[in-house]
Amino acid sequence: MMLHGPLLEKLLAGQFVCAITDEEFFAKLQRDEVRESIDDYLKPLNRRVAANDDNSVYFLAYRDIDDPAREHLKQQLGVVMGSLLPLLEWLTYVQEAMGSDGILTAGDTLKLQELMVKTEDNPSLRQRLQNLANDKFFGSSADSVDAQGKQVARRLVEHGYLMQPHSNRLYFTVTGKIDYLLELVRFIKDEENIPLDTSQTQTELL
Amino acid sequence: MAEHDDKHHLSSLFEVGAERLKLIGDNAKLLMQGYLTGGIDPATVSERTLRRLISARVLYQPDDSHELKLRHPVTQLVAALVTDESRRAIHADIADKLVSIRGFVEGLKEAQRMGDSLRVDSQTLRIDEAVYDLTSQFEEAIFSLWHRLNSNFGFVSNLSDKIRENSRAQQQIQRLIDGLSLIDFDDLIELAEGNPTLRKILVSRLQQQMSAHHGSLLEVQIRLVELMTRFREQQERSLLVLNMAGFLREHPGFMVGDYSYRSQVPALVNCAAPIFPAAAVSLDKREQQPELVHLVHTLYRELAIKAKTDVVSVTADAVNASAQQQVVEARQQQLKQDTMAYFLYVCDTPQPHSALAFLIEQQLEWPAEAWLFQVLAEYNALPRHEQKLFTLTRDERPISQFNHVRIIEDLKVRYQAA
Repeated sequence: MMLHGPLLEKLLAGQFVCAITDEEFFAKLQRDEVRESIDDYLKPLNRRVAANDDNSVYFLAYRDIDDPAREHLKQQLGVVMGSLLPLLEWLTYVQEAMGSDGILTAGDTLKLQELMVKTEDNPSLRQRLQNLANDKFFGSSADSVDAQGKQVARRLVEHGYLMQPHSNRLYFTVTGKIDYLLELVRFIKDEENIPLDTSQTQTELL
Repeated sequence: MAEHDDKHHLSSLFEVGAERLKLIGDNAKLLMQGYLTGGIDPATVSERTLRRLISARVLYQPDDSHELKLRHPVTQLVAALVTDESRRAIHADIADKLVSIRGFVEGLKEAQRMGDSLRVDSQTLRIDEAVYDLTSQFEEAIFSLWHRLNSNFGFVSNLSDKIRENSRAQQQIQRLIDGLSLIDFDDLIELAEGNPTLRKILVSRLQQQMSAHHGSLLEVQIRLVELMTRFREQQERSLLVLNMAGFLREHPGFMVGDYSYRSQVPALVNCAAPIFPAAAVSLDKREQQPELVHLVHTLYRELAIKAKTDVVSVTADAVNASAQQQVVEARQQQLKQDTMAYFLYVCDTPQPHSALAFLIEQQLEWPAEAWLFQVLAEYNALPRHEQKLFTLTRDERPISQFNHVRIIEDLKVRYQAA
């Protein structure tokens, strides 16, 4: 197990491992025998390696779901739900500001400077960033677009949705955790039968 | 009266419409350029034309862009014209070209029968040309498809337009493939019967080119389908995020079900709490002790360095002061070394040698007073048995007759081996 020590520590610490955050670890986790040996090792800790639907991101799950585990999951879900709206709003804000075809996805690069310039020039985007930054999830009390943007990016890095390859350069890479988040959103939508505006979907698809 | 108004209105509508259609026609090349590249650079057009095109609602300049764009109806018009044309063009053209090739072949055979070699040559050339036209038509269409594909349908701005353009391109591929199937090689083989040149032009070369075209068409088709899948995924994600955000905004108190208390907890929700593996120094393993000792030592050293740097970095003043202190220390060290050099020099000379003379000879920069003081101090600092090896003579004078204070003018040191 010494062989997978750093990988194990990362997983145990609750981090999500994808091809963008750790290419090497991710390659290891894609191998069945590595996952099995890690699972064996984690058995006494009541943990196992889990993945999202398309196996693009790995994390640890409870092996047996006992009551403390249930309680923890419940709390955690509450936290995720609390941060969901600001995260989704941020995604639509970036899409609109950058004029891109789709929502950010794993592996995309985000140039903060460019985003800030586009936001500065557009009062409605400025307002949206302001609202986002003031949300308690991002928790910025700054007035300038620059400071707000940086704070938002910092929080997203802390939560593992973005990665900053060079600490002194303002460009970020989107991690696989975004895909996990969107899968969760899709799951919640289906599970709760949320009537998302289907008429628009229909016309768009036609 | 009303009738008159109507007439007047109609005639002005007619005039304006005709004028604007003509305007579009006059600038056809410019507009097509804009249609293909997604925008028109204002610098390439004269200001008058530009103004006319903008006021005729053909072009507009979005606020955030330097480029001019085609208004949506114009883009649609062009798209409609182009697709219709290509639809008509491909089928009719291929059938037409095949018929004319057949005509040329018959002409050729007739000329051969009559032994008119001049006409044989000219007919062969025409066949060659017709076959070339046939293949180049496919070539152009395929080139345009690749272009659209590689530019990621950049000439339309939003995703749903790209999806539309993509499906349009896929239909075009289907039509091209249908067009290819119109070419019946059995027929052509029969036509070229007994003529090696014709066989080469009509069968082997055409066959080769058509199968290459067929291959590229299939390749483009695969790529278009892939791209379409990606477009659809992007669209689905965008809608999901947009709609969910909208829903949550409208229902601020929305809470999900108790997923974690279900008998089957959904896999995505099952994300375990973090565990941080902690470890501390243990002394129960003897064989690890050398390593621990080493660790402790490094730790001390690091702490010492840290303490030093901490002191240094307290304030800017402190940093300055310590830098100055370092300079002073370096000078002091130099003074000491020079004094040592003096003592060593003395060891080599039998005569007593003046310290001040040494100072001048060696061109040392020290003030005379500091120099003498240092020599004296160095002498006094020597261990007793070494001190005995030197004789120090002071060249001094009384400062006043009322006290016994004396000024040392110079020092002479002499070495005497024991």
